[in-house]
Amino acid sequence: MREETGIVTRVTGPDRADGANPTDPTAPTTADFVPPAPKPATPRRARRRSVLRPYVWLPATVVLVVLAVAWSAVARAHPYILPPLGEVAATLAADPTLFLENAWATLSIALVGVAVGAGTAFVLAVVVSEFQVVRRAVMPFAVVLNVTPVVAIAPALVVAFGFGMTPKVVVTAIVTFFPVLINVATGLRSVPLPVLHVFRTLNASRWEVLLRLRIPSSLPYTLAALRVVLPLSLMGAVVAEFVAAGSSGGLGTMIRNSASTARLDYVYAGVVCLAAMGVLLLGLVALVERRLLFWHDSRRSGRA
Amino acid sequence: MTAGIEVHGLTKRHPGARPDRPALQGIDLRIPHRHFVSLIGPSGCGKSTLLRILAGLDRPDTGQVRLLGRSPREASRRKAIGLVSQTPALLPWRTVRQNVALPGKVNRRAGKEIDSPDELLRAVGLEDSAHQYPHQLSGGMLQRVAVARALGLRPDVLLMDEPFSALDEFTREALQYQLLGLWQRRATTVVFVTHSVREAVVLSDRIVVMSARPGRVHEVLDVDLPRPRDRKVVKGPHMHDLEDRVRDSLQSAWKAGAAPDDLVPL
Repeated sequence: MREETGIVTRVTGPDRADGANPTDPTAPTTADFVPPAPKPATPRRARRRSVLRPYVWLPATVVLVVLAVAWSAVARAHPYILPPLGEVAATLAADPTLFLENAWATLSIALVGVAVGAGTAFVLAVVVSEFQVVRRAVMPFAVVLNVTPVVAIAPALVVAFGFGMTPKVVVTAIVTFFPVLINVATGLRSVPLPVLHVFRTLNASRWEVLLRLRIPSSLPYTLAALRVVLPLSLMGAVVAEFVAAGSSGGLGTMIRNSASTARLDYVYAGVVCLAAMGVLLLGLVALVERRLLFWHDSRRSGRA
Repeated sequence: MTAGIEVHGLTKRHPGARPDRPALQGIDLRIPHRHFVSLIGPSGCGKSTLLRILAGLDRPDTGQVRLLGRSPREASRRKAIGLVSQTPALLPWRTVRQNVALPGKVNRRAGKEIDSPDELLRAVGLEDSAHQYPHQLSGGMLQRVAVARALGLRPDVLLMDEPFSALDEFTREALQYQLLGLWQRRATTVVFVTHSVREAVVLSDRIVVMSARPGRVHEVLDVDLPRPRDRKVVKGPHMHDLEDRVRDSLQSAWKAGAAPDDLVPL
């Protein structure tokens, strides 16, 4: 009954007060129960309010609680498989500077690697999309590089470049290179034909088409690539640290060393740090996207 | 005196199409400068292909095209061609005003100044939207921006490919009169591709009816409605006469061409 009335009041909308059956005793409570129809206020405010609604945050919270309970059950039964959550938290709290320093070591490798890998990929994508010859010359090797498991090259890189930052940056750069190359190359070609025709009839130079049309059009693709590649860069850095035995710092080194001494609380504390960094990087990309892509369909369709 | 647009013996085959059915065959056209000409015809008659060739976006297999005595390439080097397509083709990351100013920013070597963007926007009645972005505007407004952008260069030739076909009828009619007003003042040669008989009659001095498979000029009809045209002029029996003549011509053009391959046999 209640639900039925709820639907009716919603449909009638503005004249809800008059439309509600006055003889129906449940009518006033129903009217209270129905959430006020959200006015299309400023979209940002609407979004902020929606986060507070239980149907937005509750499902994830329930899953989180279930996972935590399951984890604790396993940890209690088999302490050598999973450490208790409290222990992980205590480890993190006991020496936060240790984790921060190592996290920073890994993060800086990841970021330098992304800068090098994604930067090179971007420039190459531009060159490849402008010159067919280069495309045919380079793309096969880029694909081969992509399908080669980088972990397999990592030991050789350590031999070649030593235990410093260089081999790790190279691994991270290789991991992040390909997604950016493919995405940006696609984006540069995704220019709507009518717009290109307008540029052509104005006899715009290749450079002008690139700068004023192709690169801005590729921005959504570039940022989508960064969304993939930034978390990937963390993985690249950690893998490189695993491989470069005897390297000085970084969460990867720390996790490997702790695992070999069965300090699972340190291992998972390190993993927590990595996860937090990944989320942070994703948030950063989302922020940049909101700033730069206000004009793009993907930004707008969700708000309507 | 040089014509606004001259086309001689133009042929165009699309690669991969049937060789006996060129997209355009033996097109001869002479459009006096400052005339408003519509291209109309069944789909597949090559009117958009012809427009692309006029714009220098596509090359003919044989034949010659002259825009005020110049080839399309030369004309575009001088920024003498304005193009408005079916979609507004604006840059979504630029404001309306920046979009209108775009032709002045590229190919500066042409040494051609554009009209002030603010004036152009006023001319199409969009001065209040100057700082909005395309996604904030309606379809009709966007197409007005595209027209303003094309007119800013004071082009010798304005090429329009079904510019209003995606709009609702009211907006469409309003834009037709607005376009006529702008054209009256700037007096360039306009080639206007359309599917609508009424639109062709309302706007044009001359209507080129084309037939399909192969694409040919079927008939050229003069529209002797007085200018400037307003809603009063385009009412009445003469208007209907003209529309009927164009429709008849389209009928016979349809019969003249081979049936399309994709037509479902009854």
